Amino acid sequence: MSRLEIEWPDAGAERVRAARGRLLQARDRLREQSFEDRLSVITQILGDWTAPDSPWRRELSASLAAETDFSAGTVSEGLDSALRAWDPQRFAQCARHELISPGRTLASYEWTTVVAGGTIPMPTLLSVLISLTTGSPVLLKETSKDPVTASLLARSISARDESLGRCFEHLSVTSTDTEALREVLSAPCIVATGSDETIRSISSSLSPTQHFVAYGHRFSIALIGPQIANHSTLLNQAAQGLALDVARWDQSGCLSPALAYIVDGPESIAREFVTATADALETLSTNMPRGDVDANSRAAIGTERAEARMRAASGSAMLIEGSNHTIILEGDALPRPAPLHRFLRVMPIDSLSALNQALTPFSGHLSNIAMSGFERQPRDHQGSSDMIRLMNRLSDLGVSRVTVPGCMQTPPIDWPHDGLPLFTPVARFVQSAFVVD
Amino acid sequence: MIDATRRTLEAELLNWIGEDPWQRDPERFERLALGLFAFQYSNCPPYARFCDSLERAPGGVRTSDEIPAVPTGAFKEFDLRCFPAEETVLTFRTSGTATERRGQLHLDTLEVYEASLLASLQKAFLTDLMGNQPTLRFLAPSPLESPDSSLTHMFETLRIAEGSATSAYDLREGELDLESLSQAVSEAQQSASPLVLAGTSFAFVHFLDAIATDPALSTEGRWRLPQGSRILETGGFKGRSREIPREVLRSELAGRFELAEERIINQYGMTELGSQFYDSTLLDPNGPRRKLIPPWTRVRLVDPESGRDVAPGEVGLIVIHDLANTGSIAALQTADLGRALLNEKGEMFGFDVLGREAGAEARGCSIAVDVMLEASGGGASE
Repeated sequence: MSRLEIEWPDAGAERVRAARGRLLQARDRLREQSFEDRLSVITQILGDWTAPDSPWRRELSASLAAETDFSAGTVSEGLDSALRAWDPQRFAQCARHELISPGRTLASYEWTTVVAGGTIPMPTLLSVLISLTTGSPVLLKETSKDPVTASLLARSISARDESLGRCFEHLSVTSTDTEALREVLSAPCIVATGSDETIRSISSSLSPTQHFVAYGHRFSIALIGPQIANHSTLLNQAAQGLALDVARWDQSGCLSPALAYIVDGPESIAREFVTATADALETLSTNMPRGDVDANSRAAIGTERAEARMRAASGSAMLIEGSNHTIILEGDALPRPAPLHRFLRVMPIDSLSALNQALTPFSGHLSNIAMSGFERQPRDHQGSSDMIRLMNRLSDLGVSRVTVPGCMQTPPIDWPHDGLPLFTPVARFVQSAFVVD
Repeated sequence: MIDATRRTLEAELLNWIGEDPWQRDPERFERLALGLFAFQYSNCPPYARFCDSLERAPGGVRTSDEIPAVPTGAFKEFDLRCFPAEETVLTFRTSGTATERRGQLHLDTLEVYEASLLASLQKAFLTDLMGNQPTLRFLAPSPLESPDSSLTHMFETLRIAEGSATSAYDLREGELDLESLSQAVSEAQQSASPLVLAGTSFAFVHFLDAIATDPALSTEGRWRLPQGSRILETGGFKGRSREIPREVLRSELAGRFELAEERIINQYGMTELGSQFYDSTLLDPNGPRRKLIPPWTRVRLVDPESGRDVAPGEVGLIVIHDLANTGSIAALQTADLGRALLNEKGEMFGFDVLGREAGAEARGCSIAVDVMLEASGGGASE
């Protein structure tokens, strides 16, 4: 006997409409809850994830290792280090600071759609909890690269508070299901992470009355200063830290360093630094081996290695090829492709003012900067003014965090992603002359 | 003044290119490839240094597969020519803006270069129209507009050798001249003569978009091409038009020009190469669509990291050994992925070039710096 299966043409859209209906029903319960009660529950959920022995984190780690291209060691280290840096109390303080203010009332969006992007789970976790904190139920459109985080998060919310759990729905929608996508993007507030193309595409489909918060694609860089020439400990610390930043999540996050500049350092020191970084990457690959690499990225890595081999043969570059990584010390600071997957290009640059010039094409695309080997208290006036100019320049270029090597992928929970505060971009407020008890 | 060794190699190569029918000849290929390698090693210092660094100098290389392949990107950074710079007669440059580094192919003679490109065009694209002086219309800039474009040079060589007096270029200052193209189509319809269209993929996309948005241009039968007509499209989109899969472009062109899809072929070529590779469908309409390999070239698919040949039928980086590259470097490693097509005997009888979408995976939040630079209009890309 054969079985007849009928897929309605708008089945995807119907699923979205049903999820939205459930969210709107659940919202009533959410509104009855005080801000502090809601925040307390969400802080506890966050604590459940950040606790050293968190079963949620363990389960996510195992699932991500099974379902994504990352190796188990990379996922485990990446999750542990990132969530260790998240302080639930700091989250709560930040929420109160941003959302509670005399003279205005927090008025949440009726519902919020979060369009997840990328392969790293932290932005997904945080986006959902932030919107729930504001009092808005959340529909998460999952990314095909991470099919596991949303369902675990949903379970962890429900385990703490079932009614809050009903305020979170997640589903996957294929890019060809335009009807379902239209429904997903009908929320009054939309938060999206993705490529510039994705952001443009979403933006063009929204009406002016919809609120859109976009986190576009960015990358990070490391700046290594002249002081590493004088302190071998500093050089090794910077190399090991940078190697860890490169290895974490196989360079697939916007906080990953795609490039490093060595500012005003002699070539011998640059070579020493690159060698130390390669050694550290080799060591890291024992417990954190690189994950699977797709065909196009392998082709890009192979191509860049071949070109670097040619430059190295002519003495204008130094190439270190590991089984899990590639490091190239270039002879110039010309822009070249960065295929990622533990591929680091290190470029010498003569001065801070030359660095200013080199960074100009990256305007609007830079996220984090890791710095090491620079004077914290510049000794002379020239140094001081150069550093001030550099910091101002980084700010102009859109950099939203300056840290040290080894900490790029582990920002505190309230770091200003793309320069924005944590909660207010997805919140609404009402100012009223009437006070309702 | 061309080196005597090279002159001898070129004479034998020109004979081979001129043979009809084409025939693969592994022994001849090996002999010419090794001879050319020895010549290029001796006359191109950056290449010699590269070979030395890999410990593969002519004395130690026994087969053509061992000859080091230069990545095509190296043409942006090195002067890869085997003759004195002052003997250069023509330099082709890869596409790009004034501020970008562009790959350069220097030529001191056009004899082999033009013989190779013309032979392939005649054999795989013109086929039965060869010698009939068909009208050729090019959706590409003219030689006056783009004197350093290898593609334009190829079209011009074809126009001079094979085109009718009404053959012309329909892309002017970056704008498609739909009126002149329409006129050419109309004349072809009236005379029932085959029309040959050739151009860049993005120019054809612009054509389709222009037609789609103007009802006056999309009337029934306006673009119907007479029997025997054909289309050649080549190159990527490079941000100059919307990007569409090659199969979709082919299907849309077939619909608009009312041509069978097998009469629309793609050419795989690049500035750094003297030879090109054409879809097989005009020569072999019943076989699988594949890129044909002229006998004086060899195509290998290699693992991107190890450089070793992949198993037959597996995806690998395309490495091309083109004996027509006599004055530069014959063995090139492209940045493209491909797959060999095998005949019943298990022999490679063509290859596929895979688009970026094949096996592509989002890189997460981060993205390659070159893509960033392209987006901000500041960086290097071909």
